[in-house]
Amino acid sequence: MAVYDNRHWLLSHIQDAFISSDDTGMCEVVMVSDNIVRQIPISENDCYPGIEQKDEDDDMVGLTQSFEIHSDLQFGLHRHRSNTAQRLERMEEEKKKAANVIHVKWVTNPVPLTDEERAELFPRKDMCKIREKEQNMKRVSLLTEMLAKCPAMPQNPYQEYAKFDGNAQVGVTIKKYGIFLTMSPAKKNYPMRVAIISTAKVSDLIGLICWKCSVEHPDIVLKDGVRHYGLYIAEDDGEVDWDFPYLDSRESVSKFGFNYLALVELDPTLNHEESFISLEDAVPLSIESISANAKANQEMEEDMKRIKVNMIAIEAPLYKSYHVFILNKVRAKIEVHLGISDDKVEIEPVVQQRISSKFWGRQRAVTHSMDSVVACDLTDYKSNNRASFRLVYDHKRDGAGSEGTGTFKHHDFEADARMAAEIVQKVNHILEVRQSARRKEYIALSERKSHKRKSFHLGPR
Amino acid sequence: MTNTSSNSDQIILATGGYDHTIKLWQLNTGVCQRTAQHSDSQVNALAITPDKQLLAAAGHQHIRMYDLLVSNPNPVINYEGVSKNVTGVGFQEDGKWMFTGGEDCRARIWDLRSKNLQCQRIFQVTAPVNCVFLHPNQSELVVGDQSGVIHLWDLRTDHNEQLIPEADASVQSLAIDRQGKMMAAVNNKGHGYVWSLVSDNEQPTRLKPKHKIQAHKRYALACRISPDSKYLVTTSADQSARVWETENFSLVLELKHDSQRWVWDAIFSADSKYLITASSDGVARLWNLENGNIEREYSGHQKAVTALAYCDQLPVVDNFTA
Repeated sequence: MAVYDNRHWLLSHIQDAFISSDDTGMCEVVMVSDNIVRQIPISENDCYPGIEQKDEDDDMVGLTQSFEIHSDLQFGLHRHRSNTAQRLERMEEEKKKAANVIHVKWVTNPVPLTDEERAELFPRKDMCKIREKEQNMKRVSLLTEMLAKCPAMPQNPYQEYAKFDGNAQVGVTIKKYGIFLTMSPAKKNYPMRVAIISTAKVSDLIGLICWKCSVEHPDIVLKDGVRHYGLYIAEDDGEVDWDFPYLDSRESVSKFGFNYLALVELDPTLNHEESFISLEDAVPLSIESISANAKANQEMEEDMKRIKVNMIAIEAPLYKSYHVFILNKVRAKIEVHLGISDDKVEIEPVVQQRISSKFWGRQRAVTHSMDSVVACDLTDYKSNNRASFRLVYDHKRDGAGSEGTGTFKHHDFEADARMAAEIVQKVNHILEVRQSARRKEYIALSERKSHKRKSFHLGPR
Repeated sequence: MTNTSSNSDQIILATGGYDHTIKLWQLNTGVCQRTAQHSDSQVNALAITPDKQLLAAAGHQHIRMYDLLVSNPNPVINYEGVSKNVTGVGFQEDGKWMFTGGEDCRARIWDLRSKNLQCQRIFQVTAPVNCVFLHPNQSELVVGDQSGVIHLWDLRTDHNEQLIPEADASVQSLAIDRQGKMMAAVNNKGHGYVWSLVSDNEQPTRLKPKHKIQAHKRYALACRISPDSKYLVTTSADQSARVWETENFSLVLELKHDSQRWVWDAIFSADSKYLITASSDGVARLWNLENGNIEREYSGHQKAVTALAYCDQLPVVDNFTA
């Protein structure tokens, strides 16, 4: 990752890691008093060439403290044991486990059996008696009895999610969460422990929580599907962090590192957009069942689409703000407002209180004149219905350096696929009308490049 | 070792498969009660000991025994020394010895009495053993192999007889009814064969071909006969289980479900009114044989469920074949 080429930062991170992973505490005593990195005179910077270098986005300001190293406070005030101690303990456990198993190895009978012995050891039971017994036996089944007692047990809609339970798996990586069930006043403040296999999706986690909840707390009334629920980030005391949206249910759980989450029943009125999306997604499927009616609908839909495209072209110069994520060099996502109007593009960070944002660089508010913007293309569709796109702009035109030829730089964004498409369309409509010299130069440049590559890609890839 | 266990504890359903775990289920609620570790190997076959205290799991080079009374995720006994996959396992009705069959072309008898080797025996055949089944008379072991031969091994006399129902068709599964009147076998062509058994007390059991069923269009995987001897179930790679009447071998039910994939195994309840199936979609299903409906589903395995062991109230001797 890009950040690790800053040796100064790297050194300080190693130092911090040293202090925090040392059980004896000696390192802390020795090292914490003096910041070695700071003491090295800047003139002797051959070893730490990064110390002076400032990242263009001020990423590194005050970064000598490196990451915050989290100590899990779940175990009270105890420090974590070192890796060696843990490994020793694991070996000890394996040994104990093995000691509890009796191993019986196949050994052939050293003394061959005589005919008499064989007949004695493997006597033949009298089939007549067996038959008589079998025929007169009253066949009862506890299972039948049990099923008769509760014949119409309603099918638990969450049963299918039981298979994601991490506690019931062996040798599969799992993730553990404390889950606050906000719909139950009694369970609100005490987390339910849930372990899930790490390949599951967030929607599977919601299903598993509901399954466990229905088994462990039958008194809580649950709605009939995972779509009614969202998982919010929560504090360890059960306080829900409402500043963040609920986790995208299509994402894999392995992406999120939170220890505590809260299951929240979603407001059905806010659900509309999602159901709207799924409705539209379902359109191509419904075409399969062709009928005259469906065809008419389809035509109308195509017309509507055309009108929509025209509307976007007409509305293109009007200012519109989008809520997207900017991807910085280390591929960390930062939430920003992307404002697009006839003459400029504004990138303004959404205010975040997370500590981590300090390290991955706060996004500064940036404004690019539309004359300096040269291209905007979709770069990637992701399976989770999100897409990334790239905005290319001319660095020189934007003010800063006036000498030399202009360099093209770019920002990468990620947004909902539909929103991304709309933004790209909007910017391209604006660019089509404006035709700046810089853009021509850029297109010429990329055409030359693509000729070299013998590919037909326009724009950055 | 207490006798205070409640009714529900007497019903045991164990499932095992490709995800290296064995699960015990609460039959009524569909909740997984316990997960045991079957490390390094899939589960080829499962069997419960006659005293209902241990569960045996046949895997690659091992037969592992798990304690059914104590919640311990690890095996308590490990039988080893077999060079290949163990494909079938079962017990003599008094729990004196255990029989297994394996891909090392051998059927074995293991003496279960500690430090006693008297009963240890090997029956060598020329092809990998796919299935083993003990005759209810407790002294004849039927062994089916990959080359299509069915061996009838008389444990008392060491005499053995062979028959080949269909050339070049691997025998996948065998079953004999409790009254010892008929034997069924299925092969990889999807054909089922039924024999009636004639037994004199002193002579070896003789087999008389009775019926051939075109049971499935594809690979058949397992067959079992209901405790009341009235039904035969065959399971197959065609994603179904079929229940046949043993009176005239007409098809009674075809048990299918949209998400069901290969059906590896099936077991009748003690009163022959329900059937439990194991499938590659990771789910075991409980079917009502009166109407063919699914009553419960047992889902929790990450991969295919290939083996079942089930024990109801009756003191049954279960024979389990892969």
